[in-house]
Amino acid sequence: MTEKANENWEPKIVAFVCNWCTYAGADLAGISRLQYPPNVRLIRLPCSGRVNPFYVIKALQEGTDGVLVSGCHPGECHYISGNLSARRKFAMLKNFLSYVGVEPDRTIFTWVSASEGEKFSKVIKGVTEKVKALGPAQKLVKKL
Amino acid sequence: MENVEKQVREHAKKLLADGAVDVVVGYEAGTLPFQTTPCIITDPDDTGRLIWNRFCSVNLAKYVHDIIFAHKESQKRTKPEERTKKKVGVVARGCTTRSLVIHLQEKQYDRDQVVIIGVPCTGFVANKKLSIAVDGREITACSVSGDTISVQTKNGGKDLPISEVLADNCMTCRFNNPVISDEMMGDEAPAIPNAEKEYEAVDTFEGRSINERWAYFTKEMAKCMRCYACRNTCPSCYCKICFIEQNQPRWVGVGIDETDTQVFQFMRMFHMVGRCVDCGSCLEVCPMGVDLRTFLKKLDKDDCRLFNHRAGESMESVPSLSAYAENDKEEFVFEP
Repeated sequence: MTEKANENWEPKIVAFVCNWCTYAGADLAGISRLQYPPNVRLIRLPCSGRVNPFYVIKALQEGTDGVLVSGCHPGECHYISGNLSARRKFAMLKNFLSYVGVEPDRTIFTWVSASEGEKFSKVIKGVTEKVKALGPAQKLVKKL
Repeated sequence: MENVEKQVREHAKKLLADGAVDVVVGYEAGTLPFQTTPCIITDPDDTGRLIWNRFCSVNLAKYVHDIIFAHKESQKRTKPEERTKKKVGVVARGCTTRSLVIHLQEKQYDRDQVVIIGVPCTGFVANKKLSIAVDGREITACSVSGDTISVQTKNGGKDLPISEVLADNCMTCRFNNPVISDEMMGDEAPAIPNAEKEYEAVDTFEGRSINERWAYFTKEMAKCMRCYACRNTCPSCYCKICFIEQNQPRWVGVGIDETDTQVFQFMRMFHMVGRCVDCGSCLEVCPMGVDLRTFLKKLDKDDCRLFNHRAGESMESVPSLSAYAENDKEEFVFEP
């Protein structure tokens, strides 16, 4: 990310979303014609438990300004407990990233269910605002 | 301590002679004065080489895993009914037994394949600290009596209190006696006095600003030359193919890019969630003196505070990332 923060700068955000809830939630947001910022790139995975912490780190290293991970609400996982295992992983990951000095707002975890199109658009708005406030990512970013 | 050493030798001899184990892993004197090195003994008459003192540093659980897996690998072409199991005896202090517990919990081998010769531990001398104490001069001799360590260099001798040169992890160790053992050598060592201060350094580091933390992290990681000694000595790093060597996908670049090193260290440390026993082996073998402990201890602290789990504490404690609870804390979850 060599580009300087200027008024026209738009963050790039990668979202790892689960197939059963958040992806369907995003679909609902689309069907309902809800507006949300176009900065986010969705990557569909079977479950939030499928998200290897390495995906998050790798996304940051390869130059995204923010990473969002979203799955089903606890207790509503399609695979019973995938998101509960994921929750532990991400609690550790988020703390550790912030501990080494990466801004905590660059990695965001949330739950969006298939019926929450409204919430999905709010989440994306919220995340984009947070990342915009931080400016382009500098830490951990590989200079190509 | 000499008494323990004698008992270790006798017990190892007995185990080997009875055929209770195929091999004993312990420490022997190294080639440099006072330094020790791991040794692998198969002949009962060789057990005299075994030693146990304040200079035994490396965690031997790694060798147990390596021996058992090398043997397993060698039997790939043997008929299943003719396959044998390797039995390993190991001289184990507190942290080594915790690593063994982790191996057993992760089903790396069976409990009957390892015979644990438990030894009481009062902390080991960190080579780097010792070297700093004598201004990097070559040490010709070194001995410990009670709480004093006498170091001889070409420019003369020096007496130091041992607490000045003990490894950081030993100063606040909670598990200096084996958590599991088949036979305990000597009496249990007294508890380490400063054990409740174990997260003090982490708390201080957390109090620093985010940019200061990042500056420290990058400064430390810039020292790393990626020799992978930390991974090779870590008992919890036993994957056949490590993510560093994986190339489909290639997780981390192999060049000199600084972020590759940061990502490598970050992910290797992250793999230690609920698995780092704070044995200090990685720090002891690191040729560049990278301060990994500040970061590893944070994972330990979070693991303890969030999930009330300590790595390898007992056979019953479930590894924190293999389990979940309905009511795990989730303040970190973003709600718009």
